[in-house]
Amino acid sequence: MRLLLLYHLGCAVESLRANRSRTILTVLGITIGIASIIVILALSAGASRIVKEQVSDLGGGVAVVRAGVTETEPQINNITAALSGTKTASNLSEYDLEDIKSIEGVTAVAPLMLIGGDVTAGENTPKVVQIVATNPALPDVIDLTMDEGQFIDSVTNEQTAVVGAQLAIDLFGTEQAAGRTFTTHGQKFTVIGILKRQNKPINYNNVDFDYAAIISINSGKRFNQDIASIQQINIRAINNEKLPEVINQIDKELTENHFGEKDFTILAGDDLARPANEMFYAVGAVLSIVAGISLLVGGIGVMNIMLVGVAERTREIGIRKALGASNTHIVWQFLLESLVMSIVGGLLGYVFGYLFAFGIARTFLTFNPEFNWEIAGAAFGIALIVGLLFGLYPAIRAARKDPIASLRQYH
Amino acid sequence: MPKSASQPVIALKSLVKRYGMGDAEQTVLNKIDLKINKGEFIAIMGPSGCGKTTLLNVIGLLDHADDGDYKLDGRSVDTLSSWRRARIRSEQIGFVFQSFNLIPRLSVIDNVALPLTYKGFSKTKRSIKASEMLSTFHLSNREYYMPWQLSGGQTQRVAIARALVNNPSIILADEPTGNLDSRSSHVIMEELSDIHQRGNTIIMVTHNPNLTSYASRVITMLDGQIASDTQAPRSKRSKSALKRRLDSQRKPTKSTNRKTKKTTKKGSK
Repeated sequence: MRLLLLYHLGCAVESLRANRSRTILTVLGITIGIASIIVILALSAGASRIVKEQVSDLGGGVAVVRAGVTETEPQINNITAALSGTKTASNLSEYDLEDIKSIEGVTAVAPLMLIGGDVTAGENTPKVVQIVATNPALPDVIDLTMDEGQFIDSVTNEQTAVVGAQLAIDLFGTEQAAGRTFTTHGQKFTVIGILKRQNKPINYNNVDFDYAAIISINSGKRFNQDIASIQQINIRAINNEKLPEVINQIDKELTENHFGEKDFTILAGDDLARPANEMFYAVGAVLSIVAGISLLVGGIGVMNIMLVGVAERTREIGIRKALGASNTHIVWQFLLESLVMSIVGGLLGYVFGYLFAFGIARTFLTFNPEFNWEIAGAAFGIALIVGLLFGLYPAIRAARKDPIASLRQYH
Repeated sequence: MPKSASQPVIALKSLVKRYGMGDAEQTVLNKIDLKINKGEFIAIMGPSGCGKTTLLNVIGLLDHADDGDYKLDGRSVDTLSSWRRARIRSEQIGFVFQSFNLIPRLSVIDNVALPLTYKGFSKTKRSIKASEMLSTFHLSNREYYMPWQLSGGQTQRVAIARALVNNPSIILADEPTGNLDSRSSHVIMEELSDIHQRGNTIIMVTHNPNLTSYASRVITMLDGQIASDTQAPRSKRSKSALKRRLDSQRKPTKSTNRKTKKTTKKGSK
């Protein structure tokens, strides 16, 4: 016996049309649920995409050594882990740095020592700024271009700094800040260069260079009782092919330096994007749960309306059964109705979700939401599951109705 | 499906149906033995609550008997799955109800085509067959009306068309004229007797003793048991049926025509 799905589909559409306003309201519930999930998925995928792009922009051959062990187990932990990672006491030293430099195949090595602190320029109130202490090799390992002046190098004075474009404006009111001075940790620094605006607040260095001040590693050490507390070492290998060998070598050297304790993490390729990536996916996951609740409410709305529909059409069910409809026919008749609602809601949610995501991205964010098949598939799948899950019970209830009692029901 | 004339279409053997539980238990059908042959027109009479409708529902496979044996076409149906029972309802049984039971959301032709849907006919085939069936009931010009736009008599004729559309071997009619005035009642009874003449088996529950004259066999029920079972005298029945058909042939067709005009006028306004 055929399931008559097409016939039931026609019936479903017709009956949904007959109760237009309540159908629209029910579909709206699903639409809102799916739309919020789409916003979250699209934006978090967009965020992780830009980190990946940064890595590929460098042309490969880049690896990063981070202090501490990256926990990958529970996703939720990573939200805080990624943020606090820069603040944990570092165990990478200048000694490690020199060791890596001497490895064959390494062309450039730059440490990142992240220091927070107040920065004062002139009469302005102090400003909390991220200060990065590094060496002249930094522009070789990450994508940094100068807008004006020069980067710190081996011959520049230790009391010099390079500032990000936005920091220059914040401190001095202009991007033409070369030669101006600022004070931090009781030391006076002269600006010798301004970075070109990057607009990449999300990157694998955990530093927004638009807002950062870059000083030499020796100046940084002075703020820290002459100890270089390096959070991250960026390494560039000759080429991508050489990279695995280099990473192996680094791993060996550092493990030796740290008395056999692997208290560091080496990341390369796509993994480089991972901490930021995971953070966004984790944040996305948490928000998705919140969105899921709204979807749940939408699903309950579907079930509610379907139960009303079943009750209203009890007599019709009795008639159909008397005329030869089997229980399966009745189940499909009602199931398709809820599926039509949830899938239409899913499609609308997909469209509105992306409209909203673009709205948010254009107003508040520096990246665009990501389109991919996984997200489209997820939206469709979730809509399908919601329709199935919340439509099945009313449909089964409809099919189980006793035809005689149904026919007797007053109409 | 070919059947030998000797084999009854329906054979009930000490059929029992109870409702309720414990003290409130009520035996609605109490050991009913009944054989119905092909081509019979049976009228079931009896006071309210004597189990007529329950018997009809059991025969129509809408209800399960609690005890006893029910053979349809020589096959026991007690153990069939609900899916098989639905299949038999779809292929062998046509229902006509007192309250017509058209689906209000569907047009006349869609209502008539409904049993064909569950039989698995394609959409065009359904429409063609339903349309043919409606034209035999002189309802061709009502195909796309909605049920609420029809008079009671027309509605019941649509319901009968629907019951007949999948060529059932048994028509079960539960007080088909119960909601109709006497003129429409006779039109409906003429239709049923016409169908009977074409060789269909009809089982009809009725309160109205006048209608038993159309039947070939009258069964009277009392308290869940068959009180009397009489074959209507053949000559008398055919005579009276003929007479009735003769005088109803003029009047009802006229009246339906008149009604048709009225409704079309209303519709055109």
